[in-house]
Amino acid sequence: MKMKKTAIEWTIGAAAVLAAVGCATFPDAQETRGTAESMVKASFTAPTPNLLKRLDQDRAQQICSKIGKAELTPAEAAEVVKLSRASIEYPKSGKFAGNWKAGAKLAYDGGGDRIQGGRLEKRAHNGGLCQNCHGLEAGEVNVGNVGPALTGYGARGNSEAIAKYTYERIYNAWTYFPCSNMPRLGATGHLTPEQITHLVAYLIDPQSSLNRK
Amino acid sequence: MFTLRSRIAVLALICLFAPAAGAQNAGAGLEVGRKMLLEDNPGELWIDRGKRIFHEKRGPKKASLEQCDFGMGPGNLKGATARLPRYFADTDKVEDLDSRIVTCMVTLQGSDREQVKKSAIGRPLTDGSDIEAIAMYVASHSNGMKMDVRLDHPKEREMYKAGEYLFFRRSGQTDFGCVTCHGQPDKRIRLQDLVNMLDKKQIQAVAGSWPAYRGAHGISRTMQWRLYDCFWQMRLPELAYLSDVSIALSTYLNYQGNGAVVKVPGFKR
Amino acid sequence: MAEPMRIRATLQGDVADVRILMRHPMETGQRKNPKGEIIPVHFIQSVVVTHNGKTVFDAQWSQAISRDPFLGLRIKGAKAGDKVSVTWTDNKGDKRTDEATVAASS
Repeated sequence: MKMKKTAIEWTIGAAAVLAAVGCATFPDAQETRGTAESMVKASFTAPTPNLLKRLDQDRAQQICSKIGKAELTPAEAAEVVKLSRASIEYPKSGKFAGNWKAGAKLAYDGGGDRIQGGRLEKRAHNGGLCQNCHGLEAGEVNVGNVGPALTGYGARGNSEAIAKYTYERIYNAWTYFPCSNMPRLGATGHLTPEQITHLVAYLIDPQSSLNRK
Repeated sequence: MFTLRSRIAVLALICLFAPAAGAQNAGAGLEVGRKMLLEDNPGELWIDRGKRIFHEKRGPKKASLEQCDFGMGPGNLKGATARLPRYFADTDKVEDLDSRIVTCMVTLQGSDREQVKKSAIGRPLTDGSDIEAIAMYVASHSNGMKMDVRLDHPKEREMYKAGEYLFFRRSGQTDFGCVTCHGQPDKRIRLQDLVNMLDKKQIQAVAGSWPAYRGAHGISRTMQWRLYDCFWQMRLPELAYLSDVSIALSTYLNYQGNGAVVKVPGFKR
Repeated sequence: MAEPMRIRATLQGDVADVRILMRHPMETGQRKNPKGEIIPVHFIQSVVVTHNGKTVFDAQWSQAISRDPFLGLRIKGAKAGDKVSVTWTDNKGDKRTDEATVAASS
């Protein structure tokens, strides 16, 4: 005897199928954050537990991880600026501009502090990474453009005020441009205050190869 | 010495006219060079290598991978990778191409999972790993077809949303997230053009290009390696092979790249 | 060593468009390993291509040719079904010969 499905049975069947397919929704933002952060905790290895902390976000990074077209609110921007200003550590020497030749070496150095095969690429000092994103000396071909070209930066002068501003921009770029693409090189500890003074000199010293025509 | 990098640099120099405008003009010259490198690239030799390994009886069970199910049914390779990553009922997980190869090496061939994962990413300037070759072979069966990742299963949706979140997540001493380098148009690091993953056309241009022959390494590379390498230079800890983060990011990116025509082997610098 | 080549030969009119991919490290002898030792020179020295047994291409290569080299050439007076054979020999005496049949234009 052939059984004809009743309307109810069809509805229940269809609902079951729809539920299985999960036609309902995608996980919401909060659930997603929870899932993703758990994934982060379980998806990486490092030579020491301390190095795993590199994956932890500080408050400013959390704010600056806007998804899609979400924008920074004025309050958030202000908070990032405040945190950034507070993070700035000035050089012990009191001089913002160091040695431009040392700065030139640093600017072209993209190495240091990476983790591979269970080992940390530890060197005496990390590279400045500048050349990856910024055009530096005039006439170069091998230049990135993630950041603005810095060729001839010294044209704006080398006063104390400019030296200080330049130092702060490199130490923590988010002081002036919250959530900028530029790494907060000093604040995160990638570069030391002394290293940053050399980069400042590289940028503002009139003798620097960066400012040569 | 004739490295790939020096060849590209020479090509760029040849294509420049005004030194002052050099940086801007480099792009056009590089594009010509890139097209030349992509056609008939050595990655095709990994299709052949992968085919040999795929059909060999290996492992404790002395079996080939011929019965492996990449989503289109056991043994059916055509169009399979165009749909990856996707949910698999037998493992109750969302899996990408690498993951599925490992699953089959374990279940069909009886290999040890941890051993297989350990040797999954080959060393540069060697023959590369078996998985890298197999991946190239399997992916070649989707050539000419459009990427068509679906988000039907709740786990696929979960992976997609997590991947999106992770794409924008900034951390570490570089404050980098994927978006830092891959979220704007017309950007490059030194002479390496950066794909803007937030631009449909741009991501479609690359989504179908993996696995690829990585010139500097001289071997086939998969997306698992590519993601690992990104985290390496971001000064972050090592991304574990087949980790949830890797699957989530692949799911997000491949879905964004839907519509891309698969064309492997790709060619990367 | 000596992995198989990939040879594609397609007819375009009466010209066979031949594309060959070879697997070879093409070591220049200038690179150093992580220990600082020179990696010995290892490269394809000669490539010979024949068309139905007749030599149509005979080249002497040097270290300047890059790793996993690609060679493209065109052979006039070809017909579908013709045999194209490629042989490379390297400085260590390793040899590899592979063959392909000229395919009609698609």
